[in-house]
Amino acid sequence: MDRQQGDKIRKQPDLMPVRETRDPWYPVWTERPSFDLSSGKYLKIWQGPQHPGITGNMALELTLEGDIVVDAKTHVGYLHRGFEKLMERRKYIQCFPIVCRICVPEPDYNEYLFAAAAEELAGIEIPEKARWLRALTLEMIRIASLVMGLGGQGGSFGLGTVGQWAIAHRDYILDLFEELSGHRIYHMYIIPGGVRGDLPDGFEDRTEAVLKKIEKLIYDLEKVLFDNAVIKSRSQGLGVIPASWVEPFGITGTNARGTGIANDVRKDTPYLIYDQLDFNVITGGRSDAYERSLLRKEEILMSIDLIRQIFKRMPKDGPVRVKLPNVLHWRIPPGETYVRAETGRGEMGYYMVSDGSGYPRRVHVRGASYTHAMSLLEHLAVGISIADVGGLAVSLQTCPPEIER
Amino acid sequence: MKLRDIISPFYAWKRAFEKPFTIMRPRTDREGAPAYRGFHINDLGKCVGCGTCEAICQNAAIDMVELPGQETKRGDSGLRPSIDYGRCCWCALCVDVCPTASLGMSNEYNWISDDGEDWVFVPGGDQKPWDMSEKGYRTTDESWLIEPVRASMRFVEPDVRKKNFDEMMLGYTTEAALEEAARCIECGLCIEACPTHMDVPQYIKAIRDGELEEGLRILYDTNPFSESCGRVCTAHCETACPVGAQGRPLAIRWLKRYITDNTLDIRDSILETEDIPATGKKVAIIGAGPAGLTAGFYLAHYGHEVRVFEQQDKPGGMLLSGIPEYRLPDEVLAREIKVIEDAGVEIKTGVRVGKDISARQILDDYDAVFVSVGAQIGTDMPVEGSDLPAVHIGLDFLDRISKGERPDIGKKTIVVGGGNTAMDVARSALRLGSEVEVVYRRSRKEMPANAEEVEEAMEEGVEFNFLTTPEKMTEQGGRLHLTCRRMRLGEPDSSGRRRPEAIEGSEFTIEADTCVMAIGQKVEDEVAREAGIKLDKWGNFEADQERMTTSIDGVFAGGDCETGPDDAVGAIGTGKKAAWSINEYLSGR
Amino acid sequence: MKDTIDKIRSMFDGGDADEKREDLVFVTVPATQVVDCLGYLRDRAGYRHLVMISAVDYIERGVFQLTYLLHSYEKQNDIGIRADIGRDDASMDSIHRLWAAAQVYQRELREMFGIDFPGSPRVDEPMLLEGWEGIPPMRRDFDTKKYSEETFFPREGRKTADPATHMAEKNYASEEQVKRSVKDLVRGRRKRKGNDG
Repeated sequence: MDRQQGDKIRKQPDLMPVRETRDPWYPVWTERPSFDLSSGKYLKIWQGPQHPGITGNMALELTLEGDIVVDAKTHVGYLHRGFEKLMERRKYIQCFPIVCRICVPEPDYNEYLFAAAAEELAGIEIPEKARWLRALTLEMIRIASLVMGLGGQGGSFGLGTVGQWAIAHRDYILDLFEELSGHRIYHMYIIPGGVRGDLPDGFEDRTEAVLKKIEKLIYDLEKVLFDNAVIKSRSQGLGVIPASWVEPFGITGTNARGTGIANDVRKDTPYLIYDQLDFNVITGGRSDAYERSLLRKEEILMSIDLIRQIFKRMPKDGPVRVKLPNVLHWRIPPGETYVRAETGRGEMGYYMVSDGSGYPRRVHVRGASYTHAMSLLEHLAVGISIADVGGLAVSLQTCPPEIER
Repeated sequence: MKLRDIISPFYAWKRAFEKPFTIMRPRTDREGAPAYRGFHINDLGKCVGCGTCEAICQNAAIDMVELPGQETKRGDSGLRPSIDYGRCCWCALCVDVCPTASLGMSNEYNWISDDGEDWVFVPGGDQKPWDMSEKGYRTTDESWLIEPVRASMRFVEPDVRKKNFDEMMLGYTTEAALEEAARCIECGLCIEACPTHMDVPQYIKAIRDGELEEGLRILYDTNPFSESCGRVCTAHCETACPVGAQGRPLAIRWLKRYITDNTLDIRDSILETEDIPATGKKVAIIGAGPAGLTAGFYLAHYGHEVRVFEQQDKPGGMLLSGIPEYRLPDEVLAREIKVIEDAGVEIKTGVRVGKDISARQILDDYDAVFVSVGAQIGTDMPVEGSDLPAVHIGLDFLDRISKGERPDIGKKTIVVGGGNTAMDVARSALRLGSEVEVVYRRSRKEMPANAEEVEEAMEEGVEFNFLTTPEKMTEQGGRLHLTCRRMRLGEPDSSGRRRPEAIEGSEFTIEADTCVMAIGQKVEDEVAREAGIKLDKWGNFEADQERMTTSIDGVFAGGDCETGPDDAVGAIGTGKKAAWSINEYLSGR
Repeated sequence: MKDTIDKIRSMFDGGDADEKREDLVFVTVPATQVVDCLGYLRDRAGYRHLVMISAVDYIERGVFQLTYLLHSYEKQNDIGIRADIGRDDASMDSIHRLWAAAQVYQRELREMFGIDFPGSPRVDEPMLLEGWEGIPPMRRDFDTKKYSEETFFPREGRKTADPATHMAEKNYASEEQVKRSVKDLVRGRRKRKGNDG
């Protein structure tokens, strides 16, 4: 199958040539080059964990030669909450309120994947309407996350204005979530067995109003962020991911699609109702920070379209939840499974092992940022200016909470 | 670099004159969404303190605390949830799992307090501004995590069962039992309600875990009549079950029966005792009913020599004679009593104390005596014609049937009364081939009989005449004529039930072949008189509530003869207590 | 997928396939065969995307189960390769030469489970547990509750009551005593059986 078949993004910006790479399957240094700090030629500085140019609580240990990064190491460990271990001590239903906390911008994916894994092991089929509602919330939160990501991208290059716009528009979506689920950030809406409630009256109209606002924001962003000489000169050619790195590094999501590879879980192995929606995987080809932003912008528009499709095709009535066995004694038959979904950052998956007791034996959360930030970023950062490191990190959509589950 | 790329960003200036996204000062409060999961509210009147919210809280944010004004009573632990907002994550699982639907969340989310201790509070108990909030998250039928529907029991259809005395309930299948056992929330409110305080959540857990042997052990820890109770218990536990607040309570009785039914072949080996060292003390028990035999069972475990005197030919007391076979087959009772005999209890049947052996002699021969003669005399109604031959007393009627008699009662039978005995009589009469009409002076709501029994009787075709009382009975042309009067309900009396008042001029007549009075029973005082044991003003044996001691040293009393007419499990409770107390007495404590 | 599974069985002594879904199969292979098997799957069978590496602590069997999950974009399905390794001195061959991303997973497994991957870059560098002296925290025998109780402190003044116990104390204290005493008696008198706790 031709993997290069996705829709090309509409705008083809002026581009710099792709950098030559090392051995594609083995781009890792076995022996890191050592830099003699006492020579005075090199400088070691830490960017993060408290640094506005870093996406959340992680740190980059950078070795510089002048302005140029010659070595980079990612350091995490600032917000490890041990969710995977905590889940081993909690009944399945008790895990449900904590999984969403694994990721702040996109909590619903955690809720969905945890529920889906538990349902698959327990052999529970959820009602049709719940599947649509789940897809609806996933697309809504994807927009919220991508909008915030675009704002962050502007901010990381010194364009704080779009950051403010983005955060404000994300809040419109959070208003919708508040109405639908009862909470703004951690929705706890997708519960094993379905979702917690049906749509409130008039929700579709209010969603449509918000979608229009987002569309207007995108229009503004095209002018202010994408047709911007500063942004272009700083982000074009920055952090180019060669297509040959995609598989060795396990790169997924927009980062992979930027290289021209049409990987999208929603299309490849459709979950929920994605096989009933019309959409095409959008790919790039230049694979730099600028193009990844463009892709994200296109994906926001795509998600808006998907939400409209969902509202149009969703069954109007029907149950949204199946009755679980008494959750206090709910046991899941032994087995293991892996379920995945396409988040705004790439493939997220839950590997769940049950030993037949009322507690999960092991839950492993696979976050897209795990490889993006932990190994890919270290390689991409080498050779760029220190001023661009923040922009690079944001362009990979790294999210430390899903690295440290 | 194109010129457009330099000019285009200035587009941002168009927003310079727009209303800012930031919030204006002074800040205006924004109301949370209608279903917002804000601060907790709790309807203290509905809450029964079952602690399920505490069990499901994954943050350990909920404690069950005592609250002034909340009384510990049947079906209400008197505890109320206190929430630590330093730990709460507002997931609302506590709301969704609340069996009484008392917990909820308001849509309030603003609350400022400098005092850290304020953040641990009892919703509903500590007054908060949002207590009256109508909006906020509440559980719905769909999001409720409790299963309100019982797993169904196999039973014989009413049309078939009303023609014979065969057992009508067929017991749970394993599948149904597991389904039903899964509904338990393990709060333990049922333990208090049970007169013998059976460990209900524990044996239900044993069913869930598939450990029926352990389940049987748990049953016999507190109740040697578990199999009979699994069929005919009045199930106070089910009244107390919080799941019953919004749905049907757990079928605790049927689950108990499931354990005994499925451990029949291994019962002896599970309950087999080691050689119990004999204490050399002798205990006599008068009356082989549930109280006496329970006391005997446990006394035998203590190592005392136990002899039970029973006036009837078979042991079992009211379980045998008072409960018809379609509810409790004789062989069930027989095999249960065999376990008690195997434990070392000697039962002497056909011995009437006072006639075949004197009470005095028993008092002399034995180190301790437990009197459990029951309340065997059925009372009749002081109305004209109650001595007619076609008018029977409920208990005698049931006794005759339990002995195998199938008296000819004609085509139409009137049963007077609204208790469990009345139901047993009515349904037995139905099985003898007669039409049956129950006459009761209050309404259905006030009937002391178990709701299930009334329902089953109705299914079988028993007619009910509520708010009716017989005034006079005459025999005319070989048929019985009952003159009845309609009643209405007045003010509640001391028992809380509304007192019936006669309506003037509402007399009417019912014709029937037979009438059975099932309106009460009382204690036979022969033993008391002979031994000189004090009776109370209702004619029951007077005994200490904790130690079951009577006015005579070494004589204990329990069961219906002490409590007044009550159910089997009440008798079992006093029997167990008496066994312990007698052992204390014999050990000199 | 079936051909691939058959190949794994014949070439790498694979055990029974545990088919979870049409597009997800788990196969157990001996630990010594894992690297060869993964190499085969990557280069010959098209499973070029390393989804994740994870470990499950089966303390009762004394083993760690390592799970390597591979995805094929061509076939749109997943194969999970499982291998048991001993819990004592747990060590496994590194696959960082097959997938660059593997080194991070291996680092984490080293830190959280104490499974060594000799040769893997930076494998001994902790991600977060600098100065940790206890047993690796993701192991089954690490008691998070105990650790938390020793490390942190609870809010003072909180106490809770069990409804059943509370009711016994309040409403029928003496009967509860009788019940316990009788229960102990009956339990003590029963014949001990083999499986009696």
